[in-house]
Amino acid sequence: MTLTQSSPRAATTRPGAPAGRRRGHRRAGIGTLFVTPYLLYVLAVFAIPLGYTVWISFHRFYFTAPGAHAPSPWVGFANYRDVLTDPVVGRSFLNIGIFLVINVPLTVVLALVLATALNAKMPFRSFFRAAYYLPYITASVALVAVWQFLFGSDGLVNHALGGLAPDPSWLVNTHLAMPMIALFVTWKQLGFFVMLYLAALQNVGKDLYEAASVDGAGPVRKFWSITVPGVRPATTLVTVYAIVTGANLFSEPYLLTGGGGPDNSSTSPVLLMYQKGIEQGHPDFAAALGVVLVVLVLAVSLITRKLSERGN
Amino acid sequence: MSTTVPTSGAAVPADAPTGSREGRRGRAVRLAVLLVGAVAFLFPFYYMVVGSLRKVTAGDLSSAAPSGLTGGNYSAIDGALSLGRSLVNSGVMTAGVLLCTLVLGVLAGYALARLEFTGRGGVFAVLLLVQTVPFQLLTLPLYVLVVRDYGLGDNYAGMILPFAINSTAVFLFRQFFLQMPASLFEAARIDGASELRILWKIAIPMARPALLTGALLTFIGPWNEFLWPFLVTKNADMQPLAVSLAGFLSNLQGTVSNPTGALMAGACVLAAPAVVLFLLFQRHFTHTNIDSGVKG
Amino acid sequence: MLRRTASALTVIALAAGTATACARSAPDPADAARSRGPITVWLSNNAQELQWGERMVADWNKAHPDQRVRAQNIPAGKTSEEAISASIIAGTSACLVFNTSPASVPQFQKQAGLVPLNDFPGGAKYIESRSGSLAGQYRSEDGKYYQLPWKSNPVMILYNKKLFAKAGLDPEHPKLATYAQFLATSRTLVRSGATDAAIWPAPSSEFFQSWFDFYPAFAAESGGSSLVEKGEPRFDSPAGRKVADFWNTLYREKLAPQELYPGDALADGKAAMATVGPWAVAAYKDKIDWGVVPVPTSDGRPASEIHTFSDQKSIGMFSACKNRATAWDVMKFATSEKEDGAFLDATGQMPVREHLASLYSGYFAKNPAYKPFADQAQREVEVPNVAGSIDMWQAFRDAWTRSVVFGRQSPSSALHDAAAKTRTILGEY
Repeated sequence: MTLTQSSPRAATTRPGAPAGRRRGHRRAGIGTLFVTPYLLYVLAVFAIPLGYTVWISFHRFYFTAPGAHAPSPWVGFANYRDVLTDPVVGRSFLNIGIFLVINVPLTVVLALVLATALNAKMPFRSFFRAAYYLPYITASVALVAVWQFLFGSDGLVNHALGGLAPDPSWLVNTHLAMPMIALFVTWKQLGFFVMLYLAALQNVGKDLYEAASVDGAGPVRKFWSITVPGVRPATTLVTVYAIVTGANLFSEPYLLTGGGGPDNSSTSPVLLMYQKGIEQGHPDFAAALGVVLVVLVLAVSLITRKLSERGN
Repeated sequence: MSTTVPTSGAAVPADAPTGSREGRRGRAVRLAVLLVGAVAFLFPFYYMVVGSLRKVTAGDLSSAAPSGLTGGNYSAIDGALSLGRSLVNSGVMTAGVLLCTLVLGVLAGYALARLEFTGRGGVFAVLLLVQTVPFQLLTLPLYVLVVRDYGLGDNYAGMILPFAINSTAVFLFRQFFLQMPASLFEAARIDGASELRILWKIAIPMARPALLTGALLTFIGPWNEFLWPFLVTKNADMQPLAVSLAGFLSNLQGTVSNPTGALMAGACVLAAPAVVLFLLFQRHFTHTNIDSGVKG
Repeated sequence: MLRRTASALTVIALAAGTATACARSAPDPADAARSRGPITVWLSNNAQELQWGERMVADWNKAHPDQRVRAQNIPAGKTSEEAISASIIAGTSACLVFNTSPASVPQFQKQAGLVPLNDFPGGAKYIESRSGSLAGQYRSEDGKYYQLPWKSNPVMILYNKKLFAKAGLDPEHPKLATYAQFLATSRTLVRSGATDAAIWPAPSSEFFQSWFDFYPAFAAESGGSSLVEKGEPRFDSPAGRKVADFWNTLYREKLAPQELYPGDALADGKAAMATVGPWAVAAYKDKIDWGVVPVPTSDGRPASEIHTFSDQKSIGMFSACKNRATAWDVMKFATSEKEDGAFLDATGQMPVREHLASLYSGYFAKNPAYKPFADQAQREVEVPNVAGSIDMWQAFRDAWTRSVVFGRQSPSSALHDAAAKTRTILGEY
């Protein structure tokens, strides 16, 4: 999406053009051959499943043993009605909202602060960069295990807090479970955004800072009036990325809060798709939920993009 | 936007007025901020390693100190989910994804960038379209297709298939090949070199750093992936480590004497390969196309 | 090299693409029913059960070298139901699964995953002669048996004598008969600091968790009522509400934690009591000094009047099985009077046979610890064998966690809502 803007179209000279007609044909055959695996792949892993999802979502459907033919009658929008009237589905979308409200501002602020601090000749600069990037490249499952241990009711954090520890504890508290997931994801991905902002900071002209210094602006004002607007594209990317992450949350609620608990207070649409579709045997409901989710995600990303374009 | 961002590795600090009093104070504040950040990022890792080595892994304050050390947790987790087997499964899955992504991605990317054929515009449109639909929507039908119709449940091919070609990677490789001077390819063609030869002898050597970055970024995905292999592998002998460790996390902890320690040991083993690769090739992780993970 | 790799990968991609066309098919039922040969069976991962199963399979293999049986653990998964369901879809289930939950049978049946045992000559008669009057409740709605009722684990309250003594309670005569007594005892246990939790069932919302908190208490309080009877939910009733209030009090006063314990709380000494079946006798033998009492009722009825949940498991034959004649013979072999006796001996779990206590009187005389469980096995309640049963249990569980465990709704109104949802589900199927 954002990538298309920057594709260096100028470089697209006509490949194979001077080679003459006969030769061009042979090359064309090779081109088709080179992209064939990709196209077959798209068909098998993308197009067929996509069509299948939409088809399932309009039928009464359940998985059967291979070779068994079960009737799957057309039910119109019945599955969509079930999805949209299910309070747990509502809760899962609300949870994405909670996730975004916590994750986006926190990521923007912390990443920008750390990137600004890193953006200078510093001792141990590469050490810091490596440290921030570490959670990003580590498996969720491993990190969830540590967080569960740290934030369990008998964990280190509660021992350190003593009487101030929340009750019920972090991960089993209906008010804290979802914010904890948002915090976990923010922590895990922050390093990536620090690097992104660090790169974006290089694009902010040095002359702007020099001019501001001449005008007598302090570091804080320089930060707000030059740095923040200068890295706006990166901030948009944080938002879009957060929407995608929020819509895809699975392993965190599945593992960190024991299956979207307590009482569904940290459930997510993808977790629900798994629970309904595979654990409880209602793939029709899950397919409809998936379609609703994707339509919503695409709509929200589009709006975000439009808003940020207007902002520029 | 993002691809035009210069490499942060070559970053020239924008404002580093050293020497002045303001500068020195600024430096101290920066360093303090960075240190606090580093502690917040590294402490859980430290705690994980210490927890994995302690005889008794509890949550009290003294538990953060490395004392009463033992390697027992590693053998405990090995006994509970046979680490070697899980690591091999993770490795095969990751290697398969890497190989497919690189080979097929380079082929398609090269064709899109440097070859003319009917329907090229259409393929490019498909490429862009595929990137906008989240994988999660496809999870359920893919699951039933792969497991029932393709018959690939509990099978490496089934684990690899959904990740075998990464449209983002195809896109990136196309970009790399586009940025190379066209005259090079034309000269080779006039000399009568076949396209495969041009690709192998000219394009790939020139794109080597980009390919390395692509490979490294592709590595983390399947190595850390949980949902998909969790769905398609029910046989414990086929589960990659992320899946078997999650299984241990949710219902096998009763089987060992120090479950938390064993869990931390498993987490260390799972984290180690990605961390080591990262530390070895750090420079390449923070390369130009850092945002390629965004579309992952 | 590159060319070869490229063409190989093209072939792989092509194969994947065309695999859709040649979907796998199930074995032909008529051929399979007569066919004999090697089969695979899945056993639960309970240590004692595994021991019995492996020995049983070895005996079979010695006598039938041409029809070898391979025993494996049920594949990993969050629950065995989920793993079995996945294997049905994939067409990779074992021939026999020695741990099929009757609650899942309607769903497996709908997925065309199970073989009706009536297909075998004398199939129904074998089941009915083995289990007698108990067999009827395992017949599916179409009148066929899709499961062989194998063993039950009538659940009771097991308690840790040492923790009771530590709290200053009489470990030989615990006061746990009425709700008031049970709550008072629980308060003493927790407030004295003897234990973290009086009792620690899983507070999570998997559909089957209600079998170990609500359902036994409801069976006792209602005098043997099932969740659904004659097409009507039975839990939105005075008995159901009393049970819900009782558990709600335990959670509200933090006598039962809202957090999932990652292991066995009773074995680890974190909880003083647990709702368990006789399998626990062998499992806890070397871990804790335990006593056992019946499930409490509001008015403290005598033990001889108390019903409980059976926690029964069946043997199912799955449609992926090619050598079904062998599978049927193995099923009969494993549930013969001799093997049932050996199973009881090894695991302490009760084969679903009529007159169990008299049939194996020698065993119960030798093992007095099992006596209360054997008595309890006379008064068991099963999960209802109706289509949509998992949906009902899920609806019930969601209402339970919301209200009883987390107090976000009053238990009585949550039960009412769950009953309404259950009626909808019953209407749909």
